[in-house]
Amino acid sequence: MITVNNRDRLEWREGMTVQDLLDEMGYDYVLITVTVNEILIPEEDYDSYELESGSNVVVFHLAHGG
Amino acid sequence: MATKKITIKIDGRETEVIKDSFLLGVLRDNGVAVPTLCHHKDLTPQGTCRLCVVEIEQNGKKKLVTSCNFPIRGEISVDTTSERVKKHRKTLAEMYLGRWPKVPIIQEIAAICGATDKDKYKSELTDENEKACILCGHCVHACEEFVMEKILDFAGRGIKRHMTMPFGEVDPHCIGCTSCAYVCPTGAIEIVDDMNGPHDAKLIRDYGMKINAEMATLDKSQCRMREVGTANIVDVMDAYDLLPVHNYKFGQHVDTPNIDSKMLKAKYVTQGLPDGCWKGCSMACAKTVDGFELKTGPYKGSKVTVDGPEYETAAAAANMGCFDGDFLMEYNFYCDTYGVDTISVGTCMAFVMECFENGLIDKEVTGGKELKFGATAEVLQCLHEMALGEGFGVDVGMGIRYLKGKWARELGADADFMQDIGMEVKGLEYSEYVCKESLAQQAGYTMAVKGPQHDEAWLIFMDMVNNQIPSFDDKAEALYYYPLWRTWFGLNGLCKLIWNDVVPATNKNFPPQQAAKVPEHVEDFFKFFEGMTGEPLDEEKMLDQSARVHNLQRVMSRMLGYGTRKDDMPPYRAVGPVTGEEYESRAEKLYDKQMKEIIGIDPTGKSTEEKMEITRKHRVEQYNKVVDAAYDRRGWTRNGVPKIERLKELGIDLPELVEIIKDDQE
Ligand code: SF4
Ligand code: SF4
Ligand code: FES
Repeated sequence: MITVNNRDRLEWREGMTVQDLLDEMGYDYVLITVTVNEILIPEEDYDSYELESGSNVVVFHLAHGG
Repeated sequence: MATKKITIKIDGRETEVIKDSFLLGVLRDNGVAVPTLCHHKDLTPQGTCRLCVVEIEQNGKKKLVTSCNFPIRGEISVDTTSERVKKHRKTLAEMYLGRWPKVPIIQEIAAICGATDKDKYKSELTDENEKACILCGHCVHACEEFVMEKILDFAGRGIKRHMTMPFGEVDPHCIGCTSCAYVCPTGAIEIVDDMNGPHDAKLIRDYGMKINAEMATLDKSQCRMREVGTANIVDVMDAYDLLPVHNYKFGQHVDTPNIDSKMLKAKYVTQGLPDGCWKGCSMACAKTVDGFELKTGPYKGSKVTVDGPEYETAAAAANMGCFDGDFLMEYNFYCDTYGVDTISVGTCMAFVMECFENGLIDKEVTGGKELKFGATAEVLQCLHEMALGEGFGVDVGMGIRYLKGKWARELGADADFMQDIGMEVKGLEYSEYVCKESLAQQAGYTMAVKGPQHDEAWLIFMDMVNNQIPSFDDKAEALYYYPLWRTWFGLNGLCKLIWNDVVPATNKNFPPQQAAKVPEHVEDFFKFFEGMTGEPLDEEKMLDQSARVHNLQRVMSRMLGYGTRKDDMPPYRAVGPVTGEEYESRAEKLYDKQMKEIIGIDPTGKSTEEKMEITRKHRVEQYNKVVDAAYDRRGWTRNGVPKIERLKELGIDLPELVEIIKDDQE
């Protein structure tokens, strides 16, 4: 299981990357920052960084507009 | 599988790099010093001075390339100190030194490249001026890329090449933005003006230039404000289930692509020109549609220019269920021409449509118009009537609050239902965001002094998506800071968009709570203030400046008969699902889950009506708690009136203000 934003839970599977998680959550916004267990993940690593089961992922969307 | 990274060799050492990055940046990140002249960190690489050459080996072949504009696409091995490289750089540096021997940056480069002989290339062209123009081209590109003007250019060829304004005269189109001077490495361009007598013009310019540079380099991969303006938000809101559809019942729609930014850009926005609120804005987010032929109203058949559409206007179309680009243009044009607000009209029409679909009003009331969601022609008819002062449009123009009263009185229409779905607070129509899943935003809307406008607080991502402000205290803190920060823009006549519609690349390095404030930009704004007034500013002082005005406004509201808790109460549509259809649309994904996990009631076997009632009771309670917390944080009473101590703290406890609120004290 993976926890997203200290609230949502997502089924973990072998080889799941940060990008897979973003896709599954429908998070396609441009101004986002991702941390996995409080470590900041650079954007270029989203499709290679593999999540471990039990990870705590925070996907922070910075507001714009309005 | 690392798809975005490749390994390259730099002077024998292996290093991993991001594909498509320019070689120069990679070399510098790896501690390799590379001399450059025509390269500037905030400008597109030119590749003209050739000082940055390095030797690369690819597929067994060696060649010299200019590193500043060489994108890394494959595995290469780079030699930055080969004899060929050294010789090439030295010759160039000698030539530059011969021509501009006294310019400091040239002297520096010559020293790095081992060029010592000043006279080798001395000629009649030699310019002994310390601030000579070295033809680096930065100014020309800054003018184009920072502010999208084309004032400066080179004239002449070969040795006669020089930098100039058109025909060598001062161009009246120059907006005096000073970008060219900011990037000039020699001081050849000097700024002499200090309009409005600021305390420290240079401070303002330096910080302003940082933002200009961010616009030029980051906007295209962030919010695309220059390309499509605020319309980019349509796409985002639809994707996150936040775009108001059918009077805020839903948050997305299959037909959104008919009115989103991609469609607007492809089909309507014609001018590839900067279009700012003032000449010189480097964001220039206003967009224009030319040659649009009107199909209705007094200008029918004319080809006109439409200024927009902004996010709110497109979202208002979605709210009315009118997913039609031509309608959007016509609606935008006529609202502007008649001087009515696209938001208020859109939100009010959406209310009228829902009343019509539910049989609260009929064609007799609407003057024969079938005002269902998506009725584009009928909306335009109403709009024309509103402007001409005849027919049903006149009533629509009076707004939701008026219509609720009138229809309950005269038609016996269901007042409770109208109260639930009529999206207004304090008599003002809601702006175009679905806030029912974000408690903080519900209060952000209702507590805004002027009515439910999001310009005091936009907290939906922080709250609903990021879950960043989970407790009531967190929400109250956000409802304290953001409205004051946003009020501060207004007080100083500064545009809010450059605060968070483009953000520094380093913003990602802050922890979320801080990142949300965009600390570097807050600092920039403080410097603008200091540059203008001479008074340094910090967060506390800024908050106090705003709080004085904010509290004064609240007291004035009170004087006018508003400004208490009852005036901060939202229609239930802003808080939760009013109808079964709405509940069911998010039952599985959200409401049933929340009932089980948060409220602690098992939804199995319960009817939609029962579940709606449970959800409603819970949500209204939560809403009241958040308002209590926010009032406390602001120093207001439980009834939402500023406490006299708070006015004292802020130094605005004037007798005439105290008089207005003294009976409301606890
Ligand atoms: S001041 Fe601005 S607009 Fe004028 S020439 Fe320089 S960069 Fe261009
Ligand atoms: S004026 Fe300055 S920035 Fe422009 S080409 Fe000359 S040296 Fe470069
Ligand atoms: S820095 Fe001038 S060519 Fe690269």
